[in-house]
Amino acid sequence: MSLTETIFEIGSKLGIPCVLIGGLALPAYNVGRTTLDIDIAISVRTQGELNNFIDVLSKKGIKTLQNPKINHDLFTIFGKNNEAEIWLKPCDAFNWDQKMIKNTFIIEKNMKVLSIEDFILTKLARSDRSSTDINDIIQVLIANTNNINWDYLYYRLNWADVKEDFENLLNQLSLNGSSKFQDDVNKIIKEYQKSKENQNNNDN
Amino acid sequence: MSEKQKNRAPINISASDIERAFKKVEEFQKLLKKGKTRQEIIKDLIKLIEIEDESH
Repeated sequence: MSLTETIFEIGSKLGIPCVLIGGLALPAYNVGRTTLDIDIAISVRTQGELNNFIDVLSKKGIKTLQNPKINHDLFTIFGKNNEAEIWLKPCDAFNWDQKMIKNTFIIEKNMKVLSIEDFILTKLARSDRSSTDINDIIQVLIANTNNINWDYLYYRLNWADVKEDFENLLNQLSLNGSSKFQDDVNKIIKEYQKSKENQNNNDN
Repeated sequence: MSEKQKNRAPINISASDIERAFKKVEEFQKLLKKGKTRQEIIKDLIKLIEIEDESH
């Protein structure tokens, strides 16, 4: 069993929500690229729950050289030949909430991923956001225009205070895309505008 | 602006970024049409990253 599978199996046995994040999760959203990183986010409520998770990993030969605390962002674990980063929040810019956990979905056996909308948020809000994150977001938007819950995405963009960044991204997509992609880009923008109007109507 | 936000790369999307994104999405769709599942692709990526660890 791979290191990744072992982590998800342990999380499932202990009732700890675990999701694949980062580049490795992209195929769940119909996008793919190569990556060498294994990033998994877990949701633990107490230090005891975290210690228990680490103890069970340790019994399977998976160790950490750190002393992870509940308020840390992440820690690294080492299998015999591999390593993975275990995040204690889905993104360094925000923490878990019940809605986010509820919206995760199973992609394979015990393996879960975040909803498309929350995944976009992890890419947009991260403190060390790079051009790779922006390119990932563009691809996720193109591949999932009809599957995204746009009202929920709009709510999350406000929640994480990245609405302006997202609107900037859409604006650049619109201005810089060639005419052959204009219909697809317009559809993305139309869906976003609709969710914005819905929210404004609800507010009034 | 918070310290964390300062480290975020500014959003600069070029025409070629957009072209490449559409092309990559199309390539992924081709893989799915060929019968490869999203689950298989994730498993393949994990295999690629991880060196088999028989101790688990």
